[in-house]
Amino acid sequence: MPGEPPAPHGASDEELLARVGARERDAFEGLYRRYVRPVFGLALHRLGDRRDAEEATEEAFAAVWRSASAYRAESGAAGAWLYTVAGSAIAERLRRRGTAGAGVLPEPADRTDESVAWRVHRALAELAPRERELIELAYWSGLSQTDLAGYLGLSPGAVETRVCSALARLAPVLAEESP
Amino acid sequence: MSRGPVFDELVGDGATGAERERLRRVHELLLAAGPPPELPPQLASTPDFAAVRRRQRRTLKRRAFLLVGAALAVAIAFAAGFAIANHRGGETPAARTVTLRGTSAAPQARATLELLPARRGNRPARLSVVGLPPLPPQAFYNVYLVRPGKPMASCGTFTVSSSSQAFTVTLNVPYAPAGGDSWVVTRTTGSGQAGTAVLRAA
Repeated sequence: MPGEPPAPHGASDEELLARVGARERDAFEGLYRRYVRPVFGLALHRLGDRRDAEEATEEAFAAVWRSASAYRAESGAAGAWLYTVAGSAIAERLRRRGTAGAGVLPEPADRTDESVAWRVHRALAELAPRERELIELAYWSGLSQTDLAGYLGLSPGAVETRVCSALARLAPVLAEESP
Repeated sequence: MSRGPVFDELVGDGATGAERERLRRVHELLLAAGPPPELPPQLASTPDFAAVRRRQRRTLKRRAFLLVGAALAVAIAFAAGFAIANHRGGETPAARTVTLRGTSAAPQARATLELLPARRGNRPARLSVVGLPPLPPQAFYNVYLVRPGKPMASCGTFTVSSSSQAFTVTLNVPYAPAGGDSWVVTRTTGSGQAGTAVLRAA
């Protein structure tokens, strides 16, 4: 993915959120890059409409900017706090939709699936763009192992090595507290 | 039907023992999560920080805007409706009136849609609008009948030359309105891209 900024390593979510509370733009952008896919994915899952999900995602990050100074690390992980903020923005969008009579509220979402997707999509943001592309191709493109190696111009052994490396980088992130 | 990725094939002999089990757990979580969603272009780029600040200010002032805007819209819609009704000698009173409010794409916008009695198989409607932003050339607003929960058919299009100007357009609802119907106004660009909702039934 050329042109994409490098994965935001270094600062923890809690540190970034505290800096957002102090109105630091860089911290907000870092947090956004880490969480935009999990938030959009959660919104899409609950709302079932891309346009609504897009607006709910924007509202969620606006709420993060507004409310970050209220976050206290001792109360829990930043990821869980963001999950709650995102859930509130999505619920508000659902309420508006219900009021407008423009659709039926969906069945209660499967929270376990949502939680797993949230954690995994958040963890993927920790990978460098090339690693993330490799994992996305390996798991969700439908390419066979041989086709994947051919597409990437690598030997099958090199693909195995890189997949191992990417999975190892995801492991500690996924071991952290879930929302 | 293609099978999903197989852990042993993906990692080969690249890890053993506890490390292999740790990677297998990650593999299982990846399979359970499914692919991350493709981001729409508006979300894919770094957020427009100025927009976030504007949204923050807007939220703080939203209630005041809503009160003033709603009062203004009601007054304008009433005046427009009254004038039109007088002009037509009151011959077409609305069978049903729907209030529309601006979405986040056009928070200042307000509108009233009056569904008029059917005439010779047609179902005319009057839309009184205020607060919609002017459009670039070749862009237009489209009024959709929403059923069930999704835009079903266009009732007509219009453009705006001045956001401060209240005006009324005549439309035609292509299907007989039903109880659960709603309406949405979208902004459509000349490129033919899907429109953005600017007004929804309140």
